[in-house]
Amino acid sequence: MKKSYLFIAIALVATLLLGACAQATEAPATTEAPTEAPVVTEAPTEAPTAAPTEAPTEAAPVATLRIWADEQRAPVLAELGAEFKAQYNVDVVVENISGIRDQFAVAAPAGEGPDIIVIAHDQMPALVASGLLAPIELGAKSSEFVEEALKAFTYQGALYGMPYATENLGFFYNTDLVTEVPTTWQGVYDLSKQLIADGKVEYGMVLGGTSYDAYPWMSSQGGYIFGLDANGDYNPQDVGIDSEGMIKFGEMALQWKNDGVLSDNLDNTTAKSMFKDGTVAFMMNGPWELGNLRDAGTPFAVAAFPDSGAPFMGVQGFCVNAFSENILLAQSFLTEFVATEDAMLKFYQADPRVPALKSALEKMDDPDLIKIAEAGANAQPMPGIPEMGKVWGDWGNALTFIFDGSKTPEQAYKDAAANIRAAIATDTKGMVNLPGSWQKAAGFDCEWDPKCAATVMTLGDDGLYTATFKIPAGDYEVKVALDGGWDTNYGVDGVAGGDNVKFTVATEGDVLFSFDPNSHILTVTVP
Amino acid sequence: MGNMEGSMATVAKKTITSVSSIVTTAIVIIVDALLAYFAYRLADLGYIPLMIVFILIIAIISLSFMVPNLKHFRWMAIGLSAWLLFSIFPILYTVYNAFTNYGDGHLITKTQAIEQIQKQTYLPETGKSYTWVAYRSDTNEYLLWLKDTDGTTSIVRMVDAQAADHTLEVVPGQNGIGELDADGAPLTIEGYTRLNKILAATDKNLTSIKFGAADNTIQVRSPSEAAQLLPLYQFDDATGNFTNTQTGKVYEDIQGTWTAKDRTALIPGYSAQVGGENFVEFITDPGLRGPLVTIVVWNFIFATMSLFLTFSLGLFIAIIYGDPNFKGKKLLRSLLLIPYTIPSLITILIWRGMFNPDLGIINRVITSIFGVAPKWFNQAGWARTAILIVNMWLGYPYWMLVTSGALQSIPSDIYEAAQVDGATGWQRFWNITLPLLLVSVGPLMIASFIFNFNNFNLIYAFINGGPPIPTASTQAGYTDIIISYVYNLAFASGRGIRYGYASAISLVLFVVIALMSLAQFRLTNMWEEVGENV
Amino acid sequence: MSKKTETISGSKRTGLILRWILAIVLVAFSIFPVLWIISAAINPVNDLANQQLIPANANFDNFRQLATNPVFPFFTWLWNSIKVSVSSVIVTLSLTTMAAFAFSRFRFKGRQGLLKAILLIQSFPNLLAIVALFSIVKQMGDIIPWLGLNTHAGLVLVYSGGAMGMNIWLMKGYMDTIPRDIDESAHVDGATDWQVFSKLILPLLRPILTVIGILSFIGTYGEFIIARTLLTRTEMQTAMVGLQIFTAGQYTQNWGVFAAGALIAALPIMIIYLILQDQIVGGLTQGAVKG
Repeated sequence: MKKSYLFIAIALVATLLLGACAQATEAPATTEAPTEAPVVTEAPTEAPTAAPTEAPTEAAPVATLRIWADEQRAPVLAELGAEFKAQYNVDVVVENISGIRDQFAVAAPAGEGPDIIVIAHDQMPALVASGLLAPIELGAKSSEFVEEALKAFTYQGALYGMPYATENLGFFYNTDLVTEVPTTWQGVYDLSKQLIADGKVEYGMVLGGTSYDAYPWMSSQGGYIFGLDANGDYNPQDVGIDSEGMIKFGEMALQWKNDGVLSDNLDNTTAKSMFKDGTVAFMMNGPWELGNLRDAGTPFAVAAFPDSGAPFMGVQGFCVNAFSENILLAQSFLTEFVATEDAMLKFYQADPRVPALKSALEKMDDPDLIKIAEAGANAQPMPGIPEMGKVWGDWGNALTFIFDGSKTPEQAYKDAAANIRAAIATDTKGMVNLPGSWQKAAGFDCEWDPKCAATVMTLGDDGLYTATFKIPAGDYEVKVALDGGWDTNYGVDGVAGGDNVKFTVATEGDVLFSFDPNSHILTVTVP
Repeated sequence: MGNMEGSMATVAKKTITSVSSIVTTAIVIIVDALLAYFAYRLADLGYIPLMIVFILIIAIISLSFMVPNLKHFRWMAIGLSAWLLFSIFPILYTVYNAFTNYGDGHLITKTQAIEQIQKQTYLPETGKSYTWVAYRSDTNEYLLWLKDTDGTTSIVRMVDAQAADHTLEVVPGQNGIGELDADGAPLTIEGYTRLNKILAATDKNLTSIKFGAADNTIQVRSPSEAAQLLPLYQFDDATGNFTNTQTGKVYEDIQGTWTAKDRTALIPGYSAQVGGENFVEFITDPGLRGPLVTIVVWNFIFATMSLFLTFSLGLFIAIIYGDPNFKGKKLLRSLLLIPYTIPSLITILIWRGMFNPDLGIINRVITSIFGVAPKWFNQAGWARTAILIVNMWLGYPYWMLVTSGALQSIPSDIYEAAQVDGATGWQRFWNITLPLLLVSVGPLMIASFIFNFNNFNLIYAFINGGPPIPTASTQAGYTDIIISYVYNLAFASGRGIRYGYASAISLVLFVVIALMSLAQFRLTNMWEEVGENV
Repeated sequence: MSKKTETISGSKRTGLILRWILAIVLVAFSIFPVLWIISAAINPVNDLANQQLIPANANFDNFRQLATNPVFPFFTWLWNSIKVSVSSVIVTLSLTTMAAFAFSRFRFKGRQGLLKAILLIQSFPNLLAIVALFSIVKQMGDIIPWLGLNTHAGLVLVYSGGAMGMNIWLMKGYMDTIPRDIDESAHVDGATDWQVFSKLILPLLRPILTVIGILSFIGTYGEFIIARTLLTRTEMQTAMVGLQIFTAGQYTQNWGVFAAGALIAALPIMIIYLILQDQIVGGLTQGAVKG
C-alpha cells in the first residue's frame, strides 16, 4: 500500500516545497535566469589544419551535420555518417522525423532546421518558394544521375535536391492465376471474366485508391491532371480532370464494377489484402508493397500497364537547408559520400527502390523492381506546383461519387474540375489583362491569352490601369479582360463583350495602354 | 478579506511579518533581477515579443508581492506566468498572424528574405567558372587553384591579400609550388595546406572569401565550382525595391513579395502585414456558402450526441453498479475503465481497423449474422454512427467516474422525503437525481462539450472527414466538423500551407465558441455560483 | 454469492442476473478493442485486415523487434515519457493547488474574471500554437540551453502552461467543499495563510491531488504534437512520438510492432490507474460536485 502512495508523496513534497517558496520567497522555479554568462552555441570557425587523410581521432568534431530522414533512410544515413565521422571528424546526427516537410517549415526559418532533409520532389517547390532550400551544384556528378530524376528536383532552372530513388506504380498480378499478362485493358477484362467464371477469383481487379493509385488507368485513356506549357512544365491553367480520357476512365471503371469485374472497394489496405489472399488477380501498387507481399507468400509478378498507361513518378532526394551554416559541407557530404554506388546500394538494400544513380541502377537485381522500373519507363513526374494541393481532394472524390452512384462519370469529373479551377483561379482574381494579337508579336509566350502574367496592367494613383510594352510595327487587335478569363471583357467604346480594339504601330516603340475601370474604355497610345 | 487581517493583529506577529516581508522583498528583487537580465538578453538577441512577455512576468511577480491589494495573486504568480507564456502568448501570436500572409512562400522574415535574394548571383557573359582546390596557410591566408573549362589553370590570391600580384602561375618549383596531381593542381604549396573537398567544406570562411582582382572577383560556389559571380539583384534601402542588375527590371515589395510590373515575382517572399485581408477572404470564401450549413449542423449534433452518449452510458453504469451490495463492483469498474487508460492515438486507429467495411471484425460478425453489413466509411449516416460509437467508447469511463461520485454526494434525506411522498424510482431519477447531478457536473459538461466541438484528432485520424459531400463546391465530408473543414480550407488549398489564413479562421471560430460557451454558462447558472461566497 | 442470492426475492434475483448480463456486454464493448491490440501484437503477419482474434503462429517477434531495433529505442522513449509526465504532474499539482487555494479561500478583484478567462482560453482552437511554442522554446534555449529545444525541461515547462485550465476548476471545487470554519478557527489561533494551507488544507486534498495528477499524467503521456516538434533527437523523444512515427510511415506498415509498442506504452497508465482507483473515484466525485 505504501508503494502505491509513493507517486502522490512525491507530488505532495514538491507541492510543499514549492508552496513554501511561494509564501516566503516566491522564487519562480520555472523562470530561473542564468547566473553565469550565457553559452553561445557557435560551431568552431577554425577548421583543423591536419592533413586530410589523418584526421585527429580524439579531437572535437570540426562540424556537425544534422539530417532529417524517415525510418527507412535513417539507419543507412547513420551508418554513412559514422564512416564520414571516422574519415573527416565531422559529426553526422541523423534524426528520424515524421512529417518532415511541415516540421521543416517551422524549424528552418527559426534557424533550428537540420542541414539536410530527405523529401519527395513534389514537396520541394513550396519550400523553395519560401526560401528554405539552397540550390545544389552537382558539377560533373550530374551526368551520373538519371535525367528524369534530376529534372524532377529542378525548379526555375536550378537544382534543389540530389535524387536517390524514383518510385512509381506497377501492374501487379497473381502468377497462380495469370500466366500471360494482357497488354490491353480489354484483355484484362476478358481474362478476369474467365477467372470469375472458373470460380478462381471473386473479382478480376481492385483499386487501392481513387486518384494516384488509379492514375495509370486514367492516363491510358488520355486522362491527365495538368497540361504542359511550352517549356514542358505543368501548366496550372490547363486542368485535365474533366478531359475526355478521364471521363472515359470513369465510365470504364463503373462498367467494370457493374459487371462484377472490378471490386467496389477503394481502400488501399483492403485492396492489398484482397490481392494477398487471391480474391483478385490484378492490382496497381508500388515498390513499397514488395516486402509485405513476399512475407505473405503471395505468388505475384509485376508488369507494365495495359494500353501503355503511365504512372506518376515520385523522386526521393536530399535537399539542403538554405539557413544551414554548413551549406558547402552538406553539399560535399552529399556529392562525395552519398552519391556513390556503395551508398546508393545500401539504401537500395535497406528499402528496395529504383536507384537514381545510374551505376547503382545497373546493379539493381531485384526482378520485381526491374519490372516496376520498366512499368515506369513512361512515367510522368508528379506535379510539384502548389496548385496540386487543390487537386487531390476533388479529383479523388470523383471516383467515390461514381461508385456510390451519386454522380455519373461525366458529372463527377466535370464538377471536380470546376471546383479545382475555381480554387486555382483565385490567383488571377483582380487581374486586368490585355489579351490580343500583339502579345505574341511583342515577344511574350502567349496570344489572345487573358491570364498571361506578362501582359498585365497595373493600377496607378490616378485610378487608371496602365501598361507600356515595346511592340514592333504592324496592325494589332486587343481587348481588356478581367480576372484572367473571358467572362468579363471590354472592347471598342468600353462595350462589354464588344468588338476588338484595333491599333496600328507605324514604327517599333513603346505603346501605352490605359484602361479606365469606370467607363471601361481602353486607350492605346502608339509612338 | 477583513477577517484575515484581523487575525494577524498581535505584536509578535507583526515582528515576524516584517522580518519575513524583508526576506520576501529581497528574494523578489533577486528574482526580478534575474528575470530582467533574461529579458535583457532576449532583447539583445532581438526577441522583442518574448522580452515583453518576460517584462509582464516581472510585473506579475513584483506587483503581487509588493502591492498589498494584490497579495492574493502571489499564490498563483508562477502559474499565471506559465499561463501567460505558454497559453496566452501563442494566442496573441495567432492574432498577430491573422493579419499577415504567413504561410508557404511567406515563411521567413523580411531580413531573411532580403538576404536570400541578395545571395542570388549570376555568371556574366564574360565570366568564367572553374573547378577549384583551396590551400590555407597557418595565418588563414587562402590560395585558390582554378581550372577553367578550357583546361587552363591558375592560382589566385584573396582580394585583400597584401601581395603585389593576384595571380600565380602554376609552375612546379616557383613560389613554393610542389608536384602537380593528375588534374594539374599542386599537391603541396610551401606554407600552405591543401584542403580536400570535405576539409574545404567545413571551412566556413571559404564561400565568403573573394579571390582575384578587386573588380573581377571569383567566389567558391559549390564543392565543384568557383566562378566570377555577380549579385543578380540590388536592394534599395530607400524604396525597399529590388532591381535586377542584368535587365534593370524593378521589383516592388507588394505584401511580402517583390513583384515586377509584369507580375513576375522574386522568391522567396516574406511574412508581411496584409491587414484584414484574411478575414475578408474567409467571409467571402465560396467554401463558406457551400457545405458550411451541413457541417455546422453536424458539428453541433456531434458535440451534443457525444456528450449525451458518454454521459448517459457513464451515468447508467454508475446507477446500476453503484449499489454498494453489488459484488464484483471493483473488478467491473476496473475493466470498464480500461478505454480511458490507453492513449487515444492508438485506440482510434484500432477502431478504424475494426470498422473496415470489407475486412474489419465488426462487419465480419454482422455479415455472418445478417448476411449484409453497413458500408461504414462510404455512407454519411453509417460513418457518423461509427464516429459516435468510437467517441462513446473513448469518453464514457470519465463520466462513469464523475457521476458515480456525484451520485453518492446527493444527500440521502432528499430521497427519503421523496419516498414518503410515494415517488417511484423513475420519478425520483427525473425529479431529484438528474437535476441535482446536472447542476453539480455542469462545468465539466461544458468543458466536455467544448472539447468535442473541437475534437479535430478523432475526426481526422478516424476517417478524415469522409465520406465526401457530392454537392459541395469545396472539399468537404459528411463527418467534417468546422475545425477539420477549415483545416482543409487553409492547408489543402491551391496555395499550400497558409498559417495566416488559418489564424484568421481560428479567431472567428474562437469568438463563436466563446459566445456559445458563455451562453451555456448562463444556462447552467455556473457564474452565479462562482459569484456567491462558497 | 450463493447465500446472498437465496435471501433476496425473486424479482431482485432477476434484476441481478440482468445486471450481470449487461455487465458482460459492457465489458465486452470496453475491452474488445484492447484484445484486438493484443492480438495484433502477437501476430507475426503485419496485416491489419484479415486479422484473427487468435492469430495463427502467434509469437512475440513484434516485442522482440521493438526491444532490439536500434532505430527505435522504444524503452528509452518510454522512460522519457515517464520522466516528462511525472515532472509535469508535479509542476501542475504545485501550481494548481496554490492557485486554487487563493480562488477558493480569498475574495479579490478579478477573481471571477480570471476563472472565466482560464476556462474560455482553453477552448481556443489554436492551429498555430505549435509554431509559437517552438519559437518561444528556441528563443529561451538560445539563452539557457537546458531549457531549449530537444530538452525535457523545455517540454515540461511548456506543459506547465496548460496547468491553469480545467484542473483549477476541479481543485477549487474540491476545496470549496472543505468547510471554511476549519481555517477560520485556525486563523483565530494565529495561524498564517500558509500554515492553514499547508497544515490543514493540503492533507485533506489527497483524493483530488490523485485525480488531477492522474488526469494530467494521461494528458501529457498521450501528447505527441508538441513533443514531436520540440524533441527531434531520437534519444530524447517520447513513446507517443515514437509510436506516431510507426504509424506515419505511409508505405511501411509496422502494424504489429506498433500494437506491441502501444500495449507496453499503455502499461504505466494502467498500473497507476488500478493502484489508485479508489482514490480517483473519491476525488473526481467531490471535485465535480461543487464545480
